[in-house]
Amino acid sequence: MKRHFLDARKLEHPEPLERSIAILRELDEGAYLYMLHRKEPHPLLALAREHRLNYLSRQRGEEWHILITPNREIDLEPLLSSPPEKHTDR
Amino acid sequence: MFQNSGLSLDQAPPISVVLRFFLGGSLWGVVAGLWLMLHGEEALDPAAPAALILTHLLTLGVMLSFMLGALFQMLPVLAGVSFRQPTLMAIRTQWPLYFGIVALIEAFSTAQKALYLLALLFLGAGLLPVASRMLARLYHLRNHSPSSRGMGFALYNLLLLFFVGAWLALLVGGWVSRGDLLALRQLHLGLGLFGWIGLLIVSVSFQVIEMFYVTPPYPKFWARRLPLGITGLLTLELVAALNFPSLLPWIESLVLLLLLIHGLLTLRRLSQRQRPLADATVWFWRTGMVSLVLAALLIVTGHLMPLPRPFQDLSYVLYASFALSVVFAMAYKIVPFLTWFHLNAQGYFTAPMMHEVIHPRYAMRHLAIHLTTLFTAIVAAFITPELWRVTGVLLALEFSWIALAIYKAWHLYLHVQATEERFDFGGMEAK
Repeated sequence: MKRHFLDARKLEHPEPLERSIAILRELDEGAYLYMLHRKEPHPLLALAREHRLNYLSRQRGEEWHILITPNREIDLEPLLSSPPEKHTDR
Repeated sequence: MFQNSGLSLDQAPPISVVLRFFLGGSLWGVVAGLWLMLHGEEALDPAAPAALILTHLLTLGVMLSFMLGALFQMLPVLAGVSFRQPTLMAIRTQWPLYFGIVALIEAFSTAQKALYLLALLFLGAGLLPVASRMLARLYHLRNHSPSSRGMGFALYNLLLLFFVGAWLALLVGGWVSRGDLLALRQLHLGLGLFGWIGLLIVSVSFQVIEMFYVTPPYPKFWARRLPLGITGLLTLELVAALNFPSLLPWIESLVLLLLLIHGLLTLRRLSQRQRPLADATVWFWRTGMVSLVLAALLIVTGHLMPLPRPFQDLSYVLYASFALSVVFAMAYKIVPFLTWFHLNAQGYFTAPMMHEVIHPRYAMRHLAIHLTTLFTAIVAAFITPELWRVTGVLLALEFSWIALAIYKAWHLYLHVQATEERFDFGGMEAK
């Protein structure tokens, strides 16, 4: 699975949402969004639910880890265990 | 990937629910500006009906509209509290409320007793169902954030405010005789300005300052206890108004000191932003918080010693500047965001970006008009009372400015819905 990483921890509202939606628009079944956020992004998760995307939201320490993909077959939990190393140009 | 299922987004209300209140509030602001333009200095004299009317145009017409719109939007997002048929609920709130404002203005102008009753009927019909439903839902919430807890206390104060206002109207109309008119009036002012408007802004700030501007959070103890502290003091003020009116200024001073500290804490947080550049909304928040600190200092001083008239006027101006600055800050954040987000969530990917809904330069120009209005009001208070009329013109201008922005955003939203194609998320296929 190709990972699109977005570190939104220091972005001002609503940039995290703006950027994550831009990434989601380009995702195919073989890719997923991995976002780090200082809060749980309720509007983004609601949007993912609305459009039946496969998503996972977990708090680890002070941060929220959000994974979203159009691929409904894949289990996102194992992907969560590998912390993001590379930042894409987002 | 996005499907054409429309935007329910769990519980968020349709965009029209929020925008109708914001637009209505802006138009009442235009009326308030024109009122000040027509009546000049008289509209600042607390003993004159013109001042009562200006105050209620700003508090009921402007502030209540914007705050109800914000509550409709924020309660589902912040607290998971949503309502069935929110559009119907909004319409059933808004129209009686607006008829009630007109009736109340007529009652103040003509002193006809029947009009007070009519105003009470309409205002009660508009306000009581929505405020009590919101409060009941918040009361039963299991997990509160400081914001949701504060909103609950602010709504409780709003209900108390209405009942004290009703009592005042019945007292003025001669239907009841119990109660000290001056003490009840002071209590009504305290509940409205500090318990409802002040506390709701405080509650909103707990959430949005950190979230919108990436600042450190407020101290936990402060965020958890402040709403209870303010409401507790105002409840004490209610008891004092009925039994020990001489205590009112002291209790109110304590409430104002709490608000003053919150203003300083917010300014500190805004100075700790990680971004060097500040948009208009940051400056609106700063203007609002500086105004709050100065207004609180002046009002507390006024409780300790008689203030000369220009300083009294300045305290009214600064408290209004506090409330209106925050309203503008919130509106320039919320309106473009909601327009963009609702359209995107519905799959209109060619929808305009947020800066295309309301351009940041447009908001900066509003900030310039707002600061000019504030400056003109200060000069009017101290040097040239004739400038109150110019202040009125500027106030009408700034509310027309934001009304136009809200109208354009709404129009753009409907235009995109009517003309653009929705796309499927995954393959970007046109439906």
